[in-house]
Amino acid sequence: MIARSTILLLLVPTLSQAQSVDYLRDVKPILAASCYTCHGAIKQKGDLRLDTVAFMKTGGDNGSVLKDGLILKHILGEKGYRRMPPKEDGEALKPAQAAVIKLWIEQGATGPKDEKPEPDPRDHWAFRAPVRPAVPKASGQRKLAGESPHNPIDAFLAAEHEKYGLIPQGPVEPSLWMRRVYLDLIGLPPTREEMQEFLKDCASAKPQAAYAKVVDRLLASPQYGERWGRHWMDIWRYSDWWGLGAELRNSQRHIWHWRDWIVESLNKDKGYDQMLREMLAADELYPTDADALRGTGFLARHYFLFNRTTWLDETIEHTSKAFLGITMNCCKCHDHKYDAFTQGDYYRLRAIFEPYQIRNDMVPGETNIDKNGIPRVYDANLDVPTYRHVRGNEAQPDKSKAMQPGLPSLLLPNGLQIKPIKLPMEAYNPALRAFVVENYVRAAEKQLKDGQDELAKARSRLALAEKNQKQTPPVDKSKRLLHDDFASLKKARWQPFGGDWKIENGKLVQQKTGAVRGALRLRDDVPTDFEARVKFATLGGDTYKSVGISFDVDQDHEAMVYLTPHPPARIQVSFKKDGKHVYPQDGAQQHAVPLNQTHEVILRVRGKLLNVSVNGKPPLVYRLPIARRPGKLELITYDASARFEEFVLLTLPTDVAMLNVGKQDGPVSEKLARALVRVAEAKIAHAEATMVALRARAAADRAIADNATEVGAWRRAAAQAEKKQALALAEWTLARAEAGQAEMKLNSAQAKAAVDAARKALAIPGDVYTPLVGSIKTRENNLEADANRMKPFPKESTGRRAALALWVADRDNPLTARVAVNHIWARHFGQPLVATVFDFGRKGAAPTHPELLDWLAVELMDGPPSPPTPLPGGEGRKWSMKHIHRLIVLSNAYRMTTSSLGASEKNLKIDPENRSYWRMNTTRMESQVVRDSLLHLAGDLDLTRGGPPVETPMQDASKRRSLYFFHSAIERNKFLMTFDEADPLDCYRRRESIIPQHALALSNSKLASGAAEKVAIRLEKLPPNDFAREAFTWLLGYAPTANELEACDRAMARWRELNKMRPDAERRARSQLIQAILNHNDFITIR
Amino acid sequence: MHQDCPCTRRSFLAQSATGLFSVALASLLERDAEASETRWSPPDGRPHFTPKAKSVIWLFMNGGMSHLESFDPKPMLNRYAGRSITDTPYAYVMNPELLNRNNRVVVVNDANGQQRSLCYPLQVGFRKHGQSGIEVSDWFPHVAGCIDDIAVVRSLWTSDNNHGAQTQFHSGRHMLDGNYPTVGAWINYGLASLNDNLPQYISMGVRPYWNERDGHYLGPAHDAIPLRVDPARPVDFIRPETDTRADEQAIGFDLVGRLNRESANRFPDDPALRARIRSYELAFRMQRSLPEVLDVSGESQETRRLYGLDNATTAPFGQQLLVSRRLVERGVRFIQIQHGGGGAGAWDAHGGLRANHSRNCAMVDKPTAGLLIDLKRRGLLDDTIVVFGTEFGRTPGAQGGDGRDHHIYGFSVWLAGGGIKGGVVHGTTDELGFHAVEHRHYVTDIHATLMHQLGLDSHRLVIPGRQRLAIDHGSPIREIIS
Repeated sequence: MIARSTILLLLVPTLSQAQSVDYLRDVKPILAASCYTCHGAIKQKGDLRLDTVAFMKTGGDNGSVLKDGLILKHILGEKGYRRMPPKEDGEALKPAQAAVIKLWIEQGATGPKDEKPEPDPRDHWAFRAPVRPAVPKASGQRKLAGESPHNPIDAFLAAEHEKYGLIPQGPVEPSLWMRRVYLDLIGLPPTREEMQEFLKDCASAKPQAAYAKVVDRLLASPQYGERWGRHWMDIWRYSDWWGLGAELRNSQRHIWHWRDWIVESLNKDKGYDQMLREMLAADELYPTDADALRGTGFLARHYFLFNRTTWLDETIEHTSKAFLGITMNCCKCHDHKYDAFTQGDYYRLRAIFEPYQIRNDMVPGETNIDKNGIPRVYDANLDVPTYRHVRGNEAQPDKSKAMQPGLPSLLLPNGLQIKPIKLPMEAYNPALRAFVVENYVRAAEKQLKDGQDELAKARSRLALAEKNQKQTPPVDKSKRLLHDDFASLKKARWQPFGGDWKIENGKLVQQKTGAVRGALRLRDDVPTDFEARVKFATLGGDTYKSVGISFDVDQDHEAMVYLTPHPPARIQVSFKKDGKHVYPQDGAQQHAVPLNQTHEVILRVRGKLLNVSVNGKPPLVYRLPIARRPGKLELITYDASARFEEFVLLTLPTDVAMLNVGKQDGPVSEKLARALVRVAEAKIAHAEATMVALRARAAADRAIADNATEVGAWRRAAAQAEKKQALALAEWTLARAEAGQAEMKLNSAQAKAAVDAARKALAIPGDVYTPLVGSIKTRENNLEADANRMKPFPKESTGRRAALALWVADRDNPLTARVAVNHIWARHFGQPLVATVFDFGRKGAAPTHPELLDWLAVELMDGPPSPPTPLPGGEGRKWSMKHIHRLIVLSNAYRMTTSSLGASEKNLKIDPENRSYWRMNTTRMESQVVRDSLLHLAGDLDLTRGGPPVETPMQDASKRRSLYFFHSAIERNKFLMTFDEADPLDCYRRRESIIPQHALALSNSKLASGAAEKVAIRLEKLPPNDFAREAFTWLLGYAPTANELEACDRAMARWRELNKMRPDAERRARSQLIQAILNHNDFITIR
Repeated sequence: MHQDCPCTRRSFLAQSATGLFSVALASLLERDAEASETRWSPPDGRPHFTPKAKSVIWLFMNGGMSHLESFDPKPMLNRYAGRSITDTPYAYVMNPELLNRNNRVVVVNDANGQQRSLCYPLQVGFRKHGQSGIEVSDWFPHVAGCIDDIAVVRSLWTSDNNHGAQTQFHSGRHMLDGNYPTVGAWINYGLASLNDNLPQYISMGVRPYWNERDGHYLGPAHDAIPLRVDPARPVDFIRPETDTRADEQAIGFDLVGRLNRESANRFPDDPALRARIRSYELAFRMQRSLPEVLDVSGESQETRRLYGLDNATTAPFGQQLLVSRRLVERGVRFIQIQHGGGGAGAWDAHGGLRANHSRNCAMVDKPTAGLLIDLKRRGLLDDTIVVFGTEFGRTPGAQGGDGRDHHIYGFSVWLAGGGIKGGVVHGTTDELGFHAVEHRHYVTDIHATLMHQLGLDSHRLVIPGRQRLAIDHGSPIREIIS
């Protein structure tokens, strides 16, 4: 009830002397929240501390702050006294808070005698550099068969076990260890052969060597980089791009280069420090190293089109959390509540990133940067100021003062040394890189070659046209597969769906109208490329009266072509996408459809290309935008009665000419043939002019870069060559217009005028030319004009990020190595040493094993004190992650069983949650491991590495590792999503949920059933008894008990009985058993 | 995008509190004492206090339904039709301070969500209905017939002037804040299931614009399970994609159960194994139960007509609502139905509002009324809340001559059943339907109202490391609770 008086006191503005203020309860918290950041342990502005009454009495530059209520005058900002806290550092105290302080001073400003000053926040364990602790000598440390005796990890843990009287569990059986270490290091289970070999080695004289051999092999395998790359992709928020249509809104189109950089760096065992330097500042530190530049994808990924503050907020938050384990995001709006980071620190950090933007550098072999390019960062806006946002509100920048780049003084008291960096020429003018000119030249050469081929073809076509002016189209060499005159409905051939099919007057008639589909499905499969000819008459219908052919018909998939007299009467192509029919505008061609007349539709399908000709007219040409999928062919009616008269199905050999979209390939008239010859000639001329222009532009670029004396001449030459190229283009365009090529929008008169204009331009001398493009800037925001994106890149970089990177990766940084080993430890052991993996600050969890953490951190940074002989994979160097992995997975701790079977009472009583690692922890397979394992066990996994992500529509059929699947906040794979897929926005630890959808996916998906079937086939040589035992051992890593075997046998018998009339009864029973084992908890669980 | 400091509430308060809050703090600490002494644990599935409702059917009109043509008539728009708002007596509504009060822009210079200045007259007539005499537009004749069971809230506001407001309506958070759990996920997190055979959180329809997940940091266990009304394929992976038969699978399920239980001998005291066995059994039961729930062939002709299943316009939504009733009957907690896909949502009538809204209303009006009538006559409306919402309203001013733009400053939502008063109107907008002026409610007040009726205190559902703001919780709208 004392507290109640306090609140009354606050509510009543006139305070009574009778109420007493308690310093510790009422005053100190106010001062702590508002004053200590500047007048406390970390800073003593004006030489003043306020964290004890004694300090207040001593006072600072102006003497005691308690004398004459000095402190209050500052708090209230009385005239002549600077308001405290200053506006930029925090908000004014509330009147009620000031009143409390006033009353306290009036009552004598007393405090406890033994008041201790605030501990120095710099003394927080994580902000002090780790020192390698001595490895304890635990007397009772057990020795396992063939163990490595001096693994410090075991020594640290054993010391703790001894201290608490915990007894560690014994080692797991070798087969389970094998499964564990495979899934852990490469994300795939061992094959049977690998398993057998290991078990044989184990039984030999040197079991320890057997373990080491497996680990060395796995760490050297390229799959290691993919597995651990995915872990770091979680932490570093890998995301493929998303946007609306073609508009990029988040991340970068080719961000996968960064993913490949991660995987390759890990496989090379590049130092973790070096990876950090490359991710944060490769553009400043290694400006011409295209491989290292990929690392800056880390920063490019934060791109957000619509809001720069959101973009930089994420950059700041996740750079701090992922690399340093600090929550700088907490001080965006106010000073950090727990760590001595100020709001100013936040904006100083922002100033480090403020100048950076993203561009996509051209890669060898591709001139179209939309198709491929390396997204990398660079300092674009060197002078853009950073302002503190008042209360974190970007609409209220405090423009009175620009924030200078820097780091919290807590972490770097002496400040960051930043020096601008002069960039090499090829970095700021990427078009000067030799391969860029080569790229363009090669593209022009290809055009030249195409032109030459086209010309040859056009000439032979012309010769043919001249020879056979009146010849009918070429003889049909295709093979007839089927012919039906529909004199009867052959049910063996056709399966009717919907509609009302009858024979009338010797022909097949569908007479049901209304909004229903009638379909006659061909039971036989149709080749992928085919020609179908159907003769029919549309008889009637209510509205649409659509009649046509559908193909590739399967659940949720089909493509069709139909005739409808419903205005506008037309031939229409349609296809299903995302379960909906799409009626593309360019897949329609007007065509009268009189009722009761026979129409002949000829449909040719080659790949995605369709040619649909009705009654011998020039065909509708259309290219399907969806993938082809095998399915059935159907004759269809929709709200139409129709008479079907004839159907012919033919093969479509490659020599049957088809019209392509925008091109004419078939036999043509002599006139057209001549025009096409001219087109090809003009194309060649253009390609040649392009090559000349390219070389001239490249030469001018180079002359300018070298500051050559005759720059003007080079410029003029380039300008002239470019104009010639423009003229050649206009002439080519004219030739195409005259040939009536489909994509031409303009008529030949306009094209002629353009040629004249180009010719005139050529006559005027000038020196303005277009420099070659070797990189394209990503739009800064949705308002940025293209002209701004075309500006030359700066020749200098601010050096801010380089300074940051060097400090983050510095041997003296207290946080970096600890944060990294904690992440590594968490993924091996299923629980981290510091539970708050992204917060090592004072609010974060304390390490469960501080000495072990520090020992590991130093071991990561320095490598082994005296590296013996170089280890496989280059370990033994500094900052080697493979070295840490090796130490961990070869420890006894890692080799323990996860089971608490036979554990001592004491273990279970004092440490049921296994915080002291008296047993190994179980973990659940991550989403990617589930899918990859299924495919690998089936022998189906495609181990192709790197490259663009597998797009969503291709994923069902793809057998590639899951980390290559397109993965963004908007678009992720359905199967993977079921198993706690990484959240691209924030995934410092993967979740391990247990939900019924797991069972559905593992029981019902084609992926799981297909894998089960193939695993069964791989074991088919085994007799029934051995089958279950072997399957169990291989898939789960341990041998079945008699009970388990008996259960399997019984189920097998029931399956066989169910299917006893079927020839495949045994095969089905075996597949079912495998699928059951894949659904076993111990499959998805890593024991 | 944003992860708050990993602090438990107790320690956060202890360290951030000043003397100012010591009373409140003391009582909070007292209330938390039990929880914080031991380790934090998830909710036990029981309500925090006696609930008045068990289930929620959440109907959401994608794209932004005009409040002005549905439940909030504004005759002044007819009177001043074609005049600039600044030429009316209500010019103050355009006061920049009012406009900036709750507008948080995602896209600078967005073509959407502009202020439209010329008053656009109401595109439909209004009539009074029921004993309460509440005015409802003529495009909702059937819902109007149920108006005495409905509480209309006319004073909602939100802050995202683009369709990110769809997510915001569900999660309470602006798009720029990142992704947060939705109201359905919280309820699913807080309350245990009432049916062991069915998922307790289901969604139907399409989410054209917003994030497809619900659970976010609560985890996928709290995502809605997307349900199709097709009994053959109601949820992903519910049926074998190969030719495996049910009788074969039954043996497999049986075997897996046995093997998992056997494995408990090898790995005793493993809570994950126990959870796995339970979830496995639920999967098996779901696989059997769901198709039966979705099969509406046993419903009477009269019931089918009530939901409009006999009409092509109303049948799709009617089917979903009829299934919803069947799910509610079987104890499913939260059913979320999105109406209208395409673009940013079917109701997004930037142009041709009359044609757009009359068509959309015709699709949802009869089934929605049918649902209310059917729930009521079966006694289910007593403990089922039906919510009819949308992400924002539409501008009083005309866009392009025959449409309305996005409008965040005032719009309508209605609730019925589950202890909500019927025949009441709560809150008002100004004479032009521009700003919510009386009883202004942010979208989470709807969430808080539902939670309150379900017996949940959202403040007790906070989980460590994920600080929630006061605005995330909202406050129950007491005036509409009976």
